[in-house]
Amino acid sequence: MRRAWLIFVGGLLLALAAYAGFYYAGTARCTGMMRSATPELAWLKAEYHLSDAEFERICRLHEAYLAGCAERCRLIDERNAHLRHLLAATNTITPEIEQTLAQAAALRAECQKQMLQQFFEVSRTMPPGQGKRYLDWVQEQTVLSDSHSQMHH
Amino acid sequence: MKPENELDSERLLERTLKEWRVEDPLPPAFREKVWRRIDRGEIPAAEGLWARLSSWINRSLSRPALAASYVAVLLMAGLATGYWQARTDNARVSQELRGRYVRMMDPYRMARH
Repeated sequence: MRRAWLIFVGGLLLALAAYAGFYYAGTARCTGMMRSATPELAWLKAEYHLSDAEFERICRLHEAYLAGCAERCRLIDERNAHLRHLLAATNTITPEIEQTLAQAAALRAECQKQMLQQFFEVSRTMPPGQGKRYLDWVQEQTVLSDSHSQMHH
Repeated sequence: MKPENELDSERLLERTLKEWRVEDPLPPAFREKVWRRIDRGEIPAAEGLWARLSSWINRSLSRPALAASYVAVLLMAGLATGYWQARTDNARVSQELRGRYVRMMDPYRMARH
């Protein structure tokens, strides 16, 4: 009688241990990525099978890109604040508003150019096949993601 | 040596037992039911769910083949559930990080969403 109960409880505990073991072993890689300093780049490394040296180069490129990006964001915020101020004072398109809009558009174009440049550099750092796959995916997600029909909704 | 009145009462009890006859009829198939219960080690329903479960566990898991199957099935169920749960969570984390990477690289996308 005692043996039957031992098997019953032991079976349940074994199932629990098997579940926990497989779950923790299976999610160890993702947990590691989430705990890293830059989870997004850790994901990139895993997704595109990058070596440590490639990953190191991409991290450096990324840091440089983000520094420039922060400066461009500051300029965009400045332009937007100026535009908001101008729009509050009038109900027509003045030459100054026109000029501010053109500057904002130029900044946006510059941002996209720098972003594309970054994508190209990152893809060149990767092994050729992975670089092509990365480029196709990231362009589809960013510069090519807005279709004309989406803009109307 | 027993006192006289105690001997009398014993004789009286003996005589009464000898004369005692059960006259009520037994329920139908009483004998078969008794043997069936003994054979199965059956516990009456009145003893409750816990007793029945306990009896079932004792009966089933005392057979080596059933016990081995029980452990094997539970082990497989645990492994499969752990595997699928990990797979689902990995896909979710991967999707989240993919989105975060795109938003990090494209500041306008971050502003739009």
